[in-house]
Amino acid sequence: MRGLKRKWAIILTFSMLFSVLAACASSSPSTSEQPEAGSATGSNVNKEGFPIVNEPITLTMMAKDAGMKNWNEMPVIQEMEKLTGIKFDFRNAPLDSFDTKKNLVFASGDYPDVFYAAELTQDEEVRYGGQGVLVPLEDLIDEYAPNIKKILDENPEIRKSITTPDGHIYSLPRIDLSAVWYRGPMWYNGEFLKALNMDKIPETTEELYTYLKRVKEEDPNGNGQADEIPFSSVKLDDVRMFMLGWWGIYGEVIYADKNHKVNYTPMQEGYKGYLTFLNRLWNDGLMDKETFSQTDDQKKSKGKNNQLAIFSDFHPYFTLGGDPNPEDEMMKPLKSEIADSPVYGKHPGLSRGAFAITNSNKAPEATMRWIDYLYSYEGAVLFDLGPEGMLWKYTDKDNRVKETVPVEGDREEFRATLTPNYGIVTPGIVNNDVQKGLKTDYDEFLIKENEEKLLPYAKVPYPLVYLTAEETEEISKLRSDLDTYVKQMEAKFVIGQEPLTNWDAYVEQIKKMGGERIEEIYQAAYDRWNQNQ
Amino acid sequence: MPSAVKESRGDRWFLLFNYMYLLFALVIVLYPLVYIISASISDPRYVSSGEMWLLPKGITFEGYARVFENSKIWTGYKNTIIYALVGTAVNLLVTMPAAYALSRKDFVGRGFFMGMFLVTMFFGGGLVPSYLLVKDLGMVNSMWALILPGAASIWNIIVARTFFQSTIPRELQEAAHIDGCTNLRLFMKIVLPLSLPIIAVMALFYGVGHWNSYFSAMIYLNEEAKYPLQMILRQILVLQEMGSEMTGPVSGEVAQALANKADVAALVKYAVIIVSTLPVIAVYPFLQRYFVQGVMIGSVKG
Repeated sequence: MRGLKRKWAIILTFSMLFSVLAACASSSPSTSEQPEAGSATGSNVNKEGFPIVNEPITLTMMAKDAGMKNWNEMPVIQEMEKLTGIKFDFRNAPLDSFDTKKNLVFASGDYPDVFYAAELTQDEEVRYGGQGVLVPLEDLIDEYAPNIKKILDENPEIRKSITTPDGHIYSLPRIDLSAVWYRGPMWYNGEFLKALNMDKIPETTEELYTYLKRVKEEDPNGNGQADEIPFSSVKLDDVRMFMLGWWGIYGEVIYADKNHKVNYTPMQEGYKGYLTFLNRLWNDGLMDKETFSQTDDQKKSKGKNNQLAIFSDFHPYFTLGGDPNPEDEMMKPLKSEIADSPVYGKHPGLSRGAFAITNSNKAPEATMRWIDYLYSYEGAVLFDLGPEGMLWKYTDKDNRVKETVPVEGDREEFRATLTPNYGIVTPGIVNNDVQKGLKTDYDEFLIKENEEKLLPYAKVPYPLVYLTAEETEEISKLRSDLDTYVKQMEAKFVIGQEPLTNWDAYVEQIKKMGGERIEEIYQAAYDRWNQNQ
Repeated sequence: MPSAVKESRGDRWFLLFNYMYLLFALVIVLYPLVYIISASISDPRYVSSGEMWLLPKGITFEGYARVFENSKIWTGYKNTIIYALVGTAVNLLVTMPAAYALSRKDFVGRGFFMGMFLVTMFFGGGLVPSYLLVKDLGMVNSMWALILPGAASIWNIIVARTFFQSTIPRELQEAAHIDGCTNLRLFMKIVLPLSLPIIAVMALFYGVGHWNSYFSAMIYLNEEAKYPLQMILRQILVLQEMGSEMTGPVSGEVAQALANKADVAALVKYAVIIVSTLPVIAVYPFLQRYFVQGVMIGSVKG
């Protein structure tokens, strides 16, 4: 028996030793493989005009893929290759597993030449930029990207928002300065509004309360049953931000108010107002009892059954079914007992981390010229709409006016087979001229609703800043506990399991758990961002 | 069945409880199956609202129609069949000889090899080193990345080894040797034909494993044309959840795309589940007799 044990020990020792040696051996070649930053292909690149390269080159691209069609077969990609002389090998991953794969790629050192629609987080940019995995782009932008340079020069706050604390730009954003919604707003069921003869939609929380009460009692769907659910939500995640605005709060976790003071939302007085209101809806049976247990799917099926009066979604017909129609009005942010309300937290206008170049890329100059094309009007049209003649054609090319070309079947699905820009956040800029002549009545309706109802109260809750590595770490440590606590307490307050008289004890507990420290850290980052003006 | 001895009162109580318990177990096992079948032919509206809970409601075959016209699902199907067949063949090719060799008492170094095998059960390379290894072997984005790294399952080798040890008597080996049989011939002509039950069991274990696996496909494959069925299935099912769980600012276009996908997913998900599990369920009865046989061998022969 003892002999056996000893034998085992020896086997184990050796196998561990081997594994350690193997690990050492494999790490050395990968470090020596790194290419020099300066590139020998510089002479191959034309600084202006097309093609970009004289000798065709092939690069590898890793992208998030909605899985509608093989990218190599897409007309947009083929057109780009013809135009620029740059071909891509794709190492795509589907939406659901992209993040796993991205982490693996970063951890293993097996980098693609470029990341497209990668949604790099601010932490990844700071970390892998600092390690030299991601190439600093600012010099390349100055030299090879006239379109991007122009945008950044005209909008200094964009440059500020994509420059990491070490002064470098590691990724390019998607820019959409006309974006309003941070997330889907809230909507009224138009049929109910009509049935109850509401010629004016509610403007204060009290008016909304009265309306919801009427929905419950007056059977607006006319089926003779009291099956109306005045207000439904999926765990409040979909409505929280919109509703918090009624009590003067711009963001769900953190926001800067008009005096440049950063606040941690769950300890604000307005947050208490939000909880009190929801608690009242809950007690009076105006809020879906399944709010905290249902899935999005279940909520939508209630909408299709014509049971909901107000809800949140990107477009009301996603929930209610049927075709887009302007009868279902957008909710107007409501005035509450808090002064300075309502407010609306607006989309920051850009999404960071959409495009990056890694140190394994042998032709960063050519790559920069390639991506710069996407920030021009022609590039945006190509990538967002596909080549001319398939979905659209020009009626007045000089003024960029277009008309739609009819296609069989669903237009969006057809578009998804033409261009990679479907279902993912792609690098580029949303240019008003791109859709000129193609806007539907429903698009116009949305623009009008945004201008009338949201924009007067809108402000970006918190700018896109970069935290340092230490700050990121501290925040994630604090928030891992706090987020759970806050979420639990929110539900308990709403359903009345925790009486609102315990509010002070709750705020004390949050302070103990570091709520104020979170404010401090974000305040510091915010001040840094402001100073960079 | 009438029994010779009259049952006592206690026996009858026992029987009653026994049947009740079995009935309960049956319901628990059967309910999810019936639910999925019903859900696959019901209107998704009733399914998600919970109105459909046992029998189909608002019968529609739209889900199946979508599945049958979806080329991605069929490509995935084809890939899965290829991966499962080739993979299982490779598994058996590796497992059977290894298990047999380790079952032989006259195999020199048996303890050492067994020990080395066992180490791999407890210590793995981890995700990133495994990925680097597979990459350096040039297997990324090929089917071999799904087959070779897991070719030998130590657990299955041990099971098969135990089978050989307990069913192939040493005398058989000696008798064959006296007649001038070589080891290879002994294995091919005598041991394997006597081991059909364990081969069937191993084939089923490995086969189902390949059929259900998606993780290595997710890690190693880069091209949708190579994805196995489970990967496609996962995309359909997971996407439906993603729409509602998005955090941070969202663009209209992305939301639109996800909503479209969620609608399709609601329609097809149960149909896809049925289509993808059917083959495994269909194969099972044919292999089951080997399971029974395998259990009997040890107990009856005595």
